[in-house]
Amino acid sequence: MIWQIDLLILTLIVICGFCTIVVKDLLGAAVIFGAYSFLMCLLWTEMGAVDVAFTEASVGAGVSTVLFFAAVHRTTRHVKMKPSGRLMGKTIGLAAAGLMGCVLLYATTDFPSWADPNSPASTHVSPRYITGTIPDTSVPNMVTSVLADYRGFDTMFETAVILTAGLAVLIILGQTGNRSPLPISRLPQGPITQGYDDTIIRFITRIMTPFLQLFALYVIAHGHHSPGGGFQGGVILGATFILMSISYDLRMVTNRFNERTNLLLANTGLLIYSGIGALCLILGANFLDYSALAKILPGTTTITARSEAMLGVEIGVALAVMAIVILIYNNLVSNGTYENGL
Amino acid sequence: MINPEQYPILIVIVPFLSAFFLSITGCFKRSLCRPIALLALFGAAAAAVGSLHRVITTGIIHYRLGGWPPPFGIEYVIDHLNGLVLVVITLVALLAAIFSGKSVERELPGKEPLFYALFLLLVVGLLGMTITGDAFNLYVLLEISSLTAYALIAIGQDRAIHASFNYLIIGTIGASFYLLGVGHLYIMTGSLNMADLASILPQLYGSKAILTAFLLILIGVWTKMAFFPLHTWLPNSYTYAPTATSCLVAPLMTKVAVYIMIRMMFSVFTPAYVFHHLAMAPVVIWMAIAAIVGGSLLALSQRDFKKMLTYLIVAEVGYMVGGIWLANRLGITGAILHIVNDAFMTLCLFLAAGTIIHRTGGHHFDNLKGLFHQMPLTMTAFTIGALSMIGVPPTAGFFSKWYLILGSIQAGRYEFVAALLFSSLVNAVLFFRLLEISYFEKPPHQENTAHGPVSMVAEAPLTMLVPLLVSAITLIVLGIYSGELVTKIIQFAVPAGI
Repeated sequence: MIWQIDLLILTLIVICGFCTIVVKDLLGAAVIFGAYSFLMCLLWTEMGAVDVAFTEASVGAGVSTVLFFAAVHRTTRHVKMKPSGRLMGKTIGLAAAGLMGCVLLYATTDFPSWADPNSPASTHVSPRYITGTIPDTSVPNMVTSVLADYRGFDTMFETAVILTAGLAVLIILGQTGNRSPLPISRLPQGPITQGYDDTIIRFITRIMTPFLQLFALYVIAHGHHSPGGGFQGGVILGATFILMSISYDLRMVTNRFNERTNLLLANTGLLIYSGIGALCLILGANFLDYSALAKILPGTTTITARSEAMLGVEIGVALAVMAIVILIYNNLVSNGTYENGL
Repeated sequence: MINPEQYPILIVIVPFLSAFFLSITGCFKRSLCRPIALLALFGAAAAAVGSLHRVITTGIIHYRLGGWPPPFGIEYVIDHLNGLVLVVITLVALLAAIFSGKSVERELPGKEPLFYALFLLLVVGLLGMTITGDAFNLYVLLEISSLTAYALIAIGQDRAIHASFNYLIIGTIGASFYLLGVGHLYIMTGSLNMADLASILPQLYGSKAILTAFLLILIGVWTKMAFFPLHTWLPNSYTYAPTATSCLVAPLMTKVAVYIMIRMMFSVFTPAYVFHHLAMAPVVIWMAIAAIVGGSLLALSQRDFKKMLTYLIVAEVGYMVGGIWLANRLGITGAILHIVNDAFMTLCLFLAAGTIIHRTGGHHFDNLKGLFHQMPLTMTAFTIGALSMIGVPPTAGFFSKWYLILGSIQAGRYEFVAALLFSSLVNAVLFFRLLEISYFEKPPHQENTAHGPVSMVAEAPLTMLVPLLVSAITLIVLGIYSGELVTKIIQFAVPAGI
């Protein structure tokens, strides 16, 4: 912990947060917000929470910025404020935020010191996770074992939150009545149009994509040993397709991943996760008690079965996250029509 | 046969798995979606009833997810309080799902698979929040129920998108408050398990951070339940939501939020801390009075019966919050009983409203004209719901109101008694006006045929009528058996030491 760096990052975070609110150009605000996320990511890394930093980088700085771009592309880039009541609203907002800040500062006076090894968070449940992860689950990365096993039930619902977001985008943007939820026959067919015709960008994207996807698979598979896992890997996989759709054309992606494929993949991902849980139930243990899977997985003990099941679960998460990221991007950028992208 | 040990998880997992299965099936055969949803909700309801039965006969159930002991893993805990709420949620959701068939077909053509998948996920969110014994797990499920609710409201008519966006912003702020509060608790204790928190917290009751945590959680939950000054998102979202959505969301969302408040106040914190350490009960009761009076007055000014009902929800939230903060056994009993009664009352009224909207196409007072003659069964059910809302025996509404009034007299809070009576009076005025319009006024559209005037509005289809009548009959049954309900279940749900 180097307090000078902390101070610098925290100052920049406050500045970025402030600018995001003040800037009238929404595209600019989205970029600054991306920078904010990267700074947060640095902060997490500096605090030793590398997994969180990785997620922040891929989800916060990466995909959400692209989704903001897509939304701005389909709506408007400049904020229009009503002059009437503007001062009043601003004053009330500022007062509420100031009050809230004071309350939070008031609470921090009782907090344990920064990075105190004797703080309750470090002494109550954490020691069990740190010492228990290898004997309990044989997974060296304790973040993964907490995420996918000790508190795997939360992670299952977090994945469901992402799926819900996808379904929500689809039900709101999908045009009522006019379009069936299976638009495959009505998809614009034909060759890729000259969307954003830039040879260099296209060439680099074409070269990069396989490597990015390989890296994503590595992140998913290696989550047991190093930072990473289903969420990050799934987001990177999805991002490669978004990259293709930006550098070529939306159709290039929708021809491969239409709405139906995405829905099927996402739901299958969730079914893999909850199905593994239900399998434990059928084998006579509690829901998500992976040790029961040792009965059917050859060559595993009740401990290594946990490790194997976590890999299965991570694959489910990755599938769902990838499909939903693509689905949300496709719908946002084309306003639900699948016709023109960025 | 399924092992009864596994009932708790089945309540949540059956609709959860079915949502994805339904979503996949919907890609191939759309007509199968509704039967799957109904089957899933029926399964959940059976498991919930089974669990409640086990709680009554053998005591509190603990279920370890992943087999990990708390506080290291997540735990489900079912006691008398949430066992009862779970049964209410599953039954209301089942009735709403049976009802929704025709209205979804008309209002959201082509979107059935998505609608039912989100519907099931919303129910999963509500059930998961109710059953869990882990403060963070509750937040995750809160996200699911909120996101699905935003989506299901946004697809309604007129200003639904705008209303839903308002709800999204305010609801997200509320959820963030809750999360911030849980974060404070974690910093100070290192635990997320409710029972574990309850055992650590008493040593920290003097702490400012714990006080902040409690207030943050309380404000977050109040936002979610639309407690009076924070209610602004509710009326428009529930009015413009599709019929099928409002029939599910209106009876359940606020009630589950009230349940969360009770859980946080009594199972994470203690009555001693909430009522004696913090001297805020009088303030909260005055806020509840403001909710009751404000909600009633705003309801009085509406000319749209669906919107009127949404303001009544705001008033009813005041009943429950006030009842709990009376801090005596009678008041809390009344509030818990009112969670059950109000869920079915609101369901009955919204189902009736949905039926009327389905047949007449609008939710203005004028649409009610002459409906008593055209839709006698619907209007009878509506009348029972209205009587219960006013608090006429033997309908359920009377009994919870009775407990609340007794509780407030015992606590010496006569202003709360006055607010309750005022609200009953306003409800009487409101509903008798509606009944008068529907009984005495002539229907607007009549075609003169050889056999005299024949109305174009007919009684509702059977899939709508059956759940409506069931909910109306439930109100009377609940009223008759409310004594049993209190002695067998609710008296064990009131925290000890009150």
